Amino acid sequence: MEYISLLMFIAVCCVLLLGYPVALSLAGTALLFAGVGSLFDVFDLTFLGAFPSRIFGTINNQTLLAVPLFVFMGSMLERSKIAENLLNAMSLLFGRFNGGLAISVTLVGMLLAASTGIVGATVVTMGLLSLPTMLKRGYSPTFSSGLICATGTLGQIIPPSIALVLLGDVLSNAYQKAQLTLGIFNPKTVTVGDLFAGAVIPGMILVGFYLLYCIAMAVFKPQNVPRLSEEDIANISGEQSKIELMFTALFPPLLLMFIVLGSILFGFATPTEAAGVGAMGATLLAIGQKQLTLKNLTAVMQNTTKITSMVFLILIGANLFSLVFRGFGGEELIQGVFEQMPGGVIGATLVVMLVIFLLGFILDFIEITFVVVPIVAPILLAMGLDPIWLGIMIAINLQTSFLTPPFGFALFYLRGVADKAVRTTDIYRGVIPFIVMQLLLLITLAVWPELITWLPSFIYG
Amino acid sequence: MPKTDFRYRATSMVRFIDNFTEFIGKTISWLTLLMVVLTFIIVVMRYGFNFGSIAMQESVIYCHGLVFMLGAAYTLKANGHVRVDIFYQKFSKKNQALVNIFGGIFLLLPVCFFIFFISFGYVSTAWRILEKSPEAGGLPFVYLNKSYLLILAVTLSIQGAAEIGRHLLTLTDDDLEKEPQQNVEIK
Repeated sequence: MEYISLLMFIAVCCVLLLGYPVALSLAGTALLFAGVGSLFDVFDLTFLGAFPSRIFGTINNQTLLAVPLFVFMGSMLERSKIAENLLNAMSLLFGRFNGGLAISVTLVGMLLAASTGIVGATVVTMGLLSLPTMLKRGYSPTFSSGLICATGTLGQIIPPSIALVLLGDVLSNAYQKAQLTLGIFNPKTVTVGDLFAGAVIPGMILVGFYLLYCIAMAVFKPQNVPRLSEEDIANISGEQSKIELMFTALFPPLLLMFIVLGSILFGFATPTEAAGVGAMGATLLAIGQKQLTLKNLTAVMQNTTKITSMVFLILIGANLFSLVFRGFGGEELIQGVFEQMPGGVIGATLVVMLVIFLLGFILDFIEITFVVVPIVAPILLAMGLDPIWLGIMIAINLQTSFLTPPFGFALFYLRGVADKAVRTTDIYRGVIPFIVMQLLLLITLAVWPELITWLPSFIYG
Repeated sequence: MPKTDFRYRATSMVRFIDNFTEFIGKTISWLTLLMVVLTFIIVVMRYGFNFGSIAMQESVIYCHGLVFMLGAAYTLKANGHVRVDIFYQKFSKKNQALVNIFGGIFLLLPVCFFIFFISFGYVSTAWRILEKSPEAGGLPFVYLNKSYLLILAVTLSIQGAAEIGRHLLTLTDDDLEKEPQQNVEIK
């Protein structure tokens, strides 16, 4: 009986591979199984009665309200050329050194990724913005494409990432559930703020790794990462003096990011409020840079509408899917498997991480967060894992998955916008060092979980 | 001759629905700006003047829900709902059209009908009692908020039908090129 739930999971993966929109594939397949199941009397349709109130809960979820606001902020920063100017200002700052452009790309990519939180969008923007420049300056295609893919995926964990907002919402439900099954009726909570705080140190370590790699490249293979010529520098700065460029292009967006992130981390504002302030700030910046034309504004608004609809339709589809999955007894099945796992909680975590890594080849963060995490997280958390640690590990794990050839998402996106002169094998070879760094980080965090849990407990007590 | 006449009428029908969906999508996209402004005002009032308004917070939520419940059809039209495109992007135009036609008939339409029928009682109960917000000072329009469920089902199925029509037209197009599509679409 409960094996039907597994069959449904496999069936949905097959349907997804056909390429019909994910949200509708999830919901439609689940519906089909529910219908056939009820014909053969193995599925109780009353399970689905909870569906309207669950969607209604989604519509009125205060935490998820941060999603459109963050998307608005990211689109505005991208559309109003703030990212582009920031990259220029950074290259002026570091460009005179070997590897300086690489460092600028890492830092700007990090900021952009953090503000949009969507892997595809960041990789495409950075690919269009910086790949041609890097190649023109004589950077090696392998190194450049690897770096761009890797920084593009940083948006998964560098707060304020949308991925962490979604994950925070799902994990907080899972955590409540886990504690209730353990008989704790005064459950502790986990918030999006906790996850943001937990992601700070691992995120910094990872960016640190990337920067060290850039520097090592500059020291040992300077021919791969040459400095900018005086001519280039003059070209970039154009009319403006260097100081002027720093003040107009560099400080305002940095300040914005610090305000948004700082107000969440220090508990002044909820993520939703901070996102609203950030979106407003980005709009003011765009006005300041004289980029807020009607055309740009409507593009930002329409882009926000589309991305928000995309995310929430998946949430609705995944909701139906998990309802049917539960109706077939899938949860008990997975729980049973986990309990018999050799190695207890460590074994179960390893298996979950491996499954999520593999699913990352075909599914994006949003689907995995809404479909897989609600099923496995309550069980893992009831086995005693720390919810913040689990969330960050899942985020970094997926980030690595998006980067891994031949199926990683980031690679497809870069391939889509990269010049034909960059070979696919260049991209594949380029990301390998970054995958190694990420795996190192995962191992480090598994050995020293305090790197994740220390800051949240320090801030929120 | 009758075939071309039929094609012509079908094409203009699809175009009519497209325009309708596009109009709604572009109109509601202004709500995103409104949400940003309202949220900003809420924050300033709360931290600057120590004043909170439940009604204002709820209106942001109402906008938010309306954006994605009505925006879903617009996003479908703009091909903005993510697909797993590992194989899809390498399919010929004909196969892509087949995926969209079968997906529309067996996935999208049943899901929309399901959402409509399972939510109908839920929504009509809210209308019968003209349900108000449970919060003091909240908006008295919960029945409208709940109606989003039906609006989603209706608008998405209308655009879904147009998509099926569009891809049927592609499929029956005589000079359909068999070249596989290589470019990746993101936005």
